[in-house]
Amino acid sequence: MLGSRSRKGLVLWMGLVVLVPAIGARPPAQTKVAAAEWTALKSLGSKSAPITIEVFSDFQCPACKRNYEETLRPVIENYVATGKVYLVHHDFPLPVHTHSREAARWVNAAAQVGQFEKVEAALYAKQETWAANGKIEPVVAAVLTPAEMKKVRQLVEKGQLDAIIDRDVALGQSRRVTSTPSLFVIKGGDTVPLPPGGVTYALLKQYLDYLLRQ
Amino acid sequence: MGDSTPSAPQRASGVARALVLLGRLALGALFLYAAYTKLRHPWALFAMAVNSYQVLPEWGVTLVARTLPWIELALGLLLVVGLGVRYVTLAATAVLLGFFILMLRAHFQGLGIDCGCFGFGEKLGTRTLVRDGLLVALSFALTVLAFRSEETV
Repeated sequence: MLGSRSRKGLVLWMGLVVLVPAIGARPPAQTKVAAAEWTALKSLGSKSAPITIEVFSDFQCPACKRNYEETLRPVIENYVATGKVYLVHHDFPLPVHTHSREAARWVNAAAQVGQFEKVEAALYAKQETWAANGKIEPVVAAVLTPAEMKKVRQLVEKGQLDAIIDRDVALGQSRRVTSTPSLFVIKGGDTVPLPPGGVTYALLKQYLDYLLRQ
Repeated sequence: MGDSTPSAPQRASGVARALVLLGRLALGALFLYAAYTKLRHPWALFAMAVNSYQVLPEWGVTLVARTLPWIELALGLLLVVGLGVRYVTLAATAVLLGFFILMLRAHFQGLGIDCGCFGFGEKLGTRTLVRDGLLVALSFALTVLAFRSEETV
């Protein structure tokens, strides 16, 4: 038999066991939802596509520009548009590139107003210009409406976008990403890292077609 | 009664034969494992790893990606079974040395690529260079021993 003091202690203890994890679990759950929403805003295609490609990219890196223009654009046209691939962008600004984090901020703000794809394409197209002079805003403004630009500018000025970028960086680090672009192909729960520096559209097409035949 | 104790040259030959046997089994197993890690994935994935070394044109990348894993498989099987050991160890040394030179070149060019040696996702760096350098040394020693021993194991 338990004494009244022991019973009180037991009730208190059980209360703590139930409450502490519940309190602790609440913020991560909210963060997770927010993270998923942000990821969706920076993704192209249907979430129900059989294959997901995740790309860790730095907007100032020349190899990322080549990867976007020569590999990902054809993937978007031939696989994303046809519902076969869901393309997910993750920011991975490298410290050696002085303007890449700022570029990532503008892209994340544009994603918030539903213009991720337009701004991503514009930043890669004009990479040499803004990488040299650091003027990213005019490049973004050229492809957005004044109303969109106003909202995007406000989001950038608020200074809350670094947390989202850092979350992408942390995800990349957890996958041992050290260089950009780094691509991962996910199908049926299997995540396969693609060999960095060797991905061409012709080879990626071979690989995707193989996976789609499975 | 005759003396059954082996002479010094006979003992040395026995040790060499034992080393060749152990070495070729180890090297054979490594070649088989290397082939398995590549053949379990579609060839295009290995082709990307080959392409990342930036030494071959597109047709060369395709040719190497489609044939190299089978060559590794054949070398591994021949090493384990012990057929034509002298020439197989020589071929294995040539293949490993070729890989090692390409890895060194990529490393010093700062390419920041994957090794592509035993599967995918393994970064090319000091660790992989030391490991593959040791494999070249093992294979070379095995080749020398195989040619020196009177009766190859």
